[in-house]
Amino acid sequence: MRAAAPTKGTRVPFGAPGARETALKYMIMMFGGLGASLEGRSPEWVKGMHELMVTMDAELKEAGEVVASHKLMDPSRATTVRFENGAPVPTDGPFAEIKESLAGYWIIEASEERAVEIASRVVAYTEYPMEVRRIMEG
Amino acid sequence: MTGGVGVEELLRDLAPRVLGTLARRHGQFDACEDAVQEALLAAAQRWPAEGVPEQPRGWLLTVATRSLIDQWRADSARREREVAVATDPAHHAQAEADDTLVLLFLCCHPALSPPSQLALTLRAVGGLTTAQIAAAFLVPEATMAKRITRAKRQIREAGARFTAPPTPERGARLAVVLHVLYLVFNEGYTALYRTDLTAEAIRLARLLHRLLPGECEVAGLLALMLLTDARRTARTGADGALVPLDEQDRSRWDAAAIREGVGLLSATLGTGPVGPYQLQAAIAAVHDEAPTAADTDWPQILALYDVLAEVAPGPLVTLSRAVAVAMVHGPRAGLAVAGTLDADERMAHTHRLEAVRGHLLERAGEPAAARTAYLSAARTTASEPEHRYLTLRATRLRAADE
Repeated sequence: MRAAAPTKGTRVPFGAPGARETALKYMIMMFGGLGASLEGRSPEWVKGMHELMVTMDAELKEAGEVVASHKLMDPSRATTVRFENGAPVPTDGPFAEIKESLAGYWIIEASEERAVEIASRVVAYTEYPMEVRRIMEG
Repeated sequence: MTGGVGVEELLRDLAPRVLGTLARRHGQFDACEDAVQEALLAAAQRWPAEGVPEQPRGWLLTVATRSLIDQWRADSARREREVAVATDPAHHAQAEADDTLVLLFLCCHPALSPPSQLALTLRAVGGLTTAQIAAAFLVPEATMAKRITRAKRQIREAGARFTAPPTPERGARLAVVLHVLYLVFNEGYTALYRTDLTAEAIRLARLLHRLLPGECEVAGLLALMLLTDARRTARTGADGALVPLDEQDRSRWDAAAIREGVGLLSATLGTGPVGPYQLQAAIAAVHDEAPTAADTDWPQILALYDVLAEVAPGPLVTLSRAVAVAMVHGPRAGLAVAGTLDADERMAHTHRLEAVRGHLLERAGEPAAARTAYLSAARTTASEPEHRYLTLRATRLRAADE
């Protein structure tokens, strides 16, 4: 198992006795909706993106780092439930703008450096931002 | 001595027969099901190391019965009488086949929702563990365990007994069983990588066909599965992308499965009433027997869809028929048939109508409209491979347009 080395950026919980034995969990988020981000691209670009995803999925699985990985359906199909006039009301469409909507995520068990490295490889290809967030523990 | 794989196959084959016998004797389906699961687990642990006992079925029955008695003993309200019956060694081998059939009917009880019917059938008849079923449906094991427990409780609450459905209900109940097996197959076939479910559906359909050789629709369903699954390996490219039927490398189709499916179908058609499974199998057979996509006998396929539209009308049949119409009478005629579904509420949440429209518009020489249809379909699909396929199709048209 990959133990999180207590280097810069790895946040050891306050008062924790020394380095942690277990790895931390991070969610790596991709935005923009799969449809919107792919529509304007060339077939070669779409193929390249797919190949990158397959390679990385396989690599993360092989390394035993991936906890969960899902892509979401297009945000145009989302339902947002809002509180209106004193009651919850479902409306069609995403909460955020489409380019800010969640498109998919990986949950990995690794160091923060590793999570950032994974996100960087995707961003190098897509040139579109991704977000890395530590998952809270129960 | 048998290895691990052999043991698992043997156990899955014995599971419904042991459960059938136990449930017929004691009637308490849910308790019996738990007991059989325990016996299967014990066997899976011990047989690979100690060897398969001489009478594996008897071994499982004994262990399951003991487990059942333990459950009863733990429950202080249970009576001595039941223990006495449970320990009676007499059993009727000839009743085993009937037991399995009754078991299938019970798992596909109309009181259950389709997901529960699927899960219970895979566990009780298929002999899969809860963990395996959960993995196949991509849900956490705890969720699947609750679903199965709830399904068993619902069967008990519906007052279902371990007996065959009465004759007037039998046809309708058999239709549910066939539908459940069909759903298991589709679940595996739609998600490209879950071939374990298609294999399981085929195994269960074979079992049902062996139990009811005279039922034409059972044979039809088995043939449909074989003829569809025969194309499985050709359906995905090296990079995992979907390959449509007309672009598939037909030398990669499973010739043995096609032969079996066609043989089954020709032995069945005309011996009884023709139902939707036989018709769909016949359509699959026409595709499978064409040496190239261009050789496909589309007029025959259209004729079969015409009959299917009468026997089992529905929007998906209309949509498939639109493709056949396009192949026989041209894309405009096909688009007109597809257009009749525009107002159909049942098509609002599927990508299929727009995907077919995209293909037909592309054939009709309208790349811009085709692109719009493909993108709309891509936004509606929940299947990753299909999403990728539709997006690629759309981007290709844009590239060609520029």
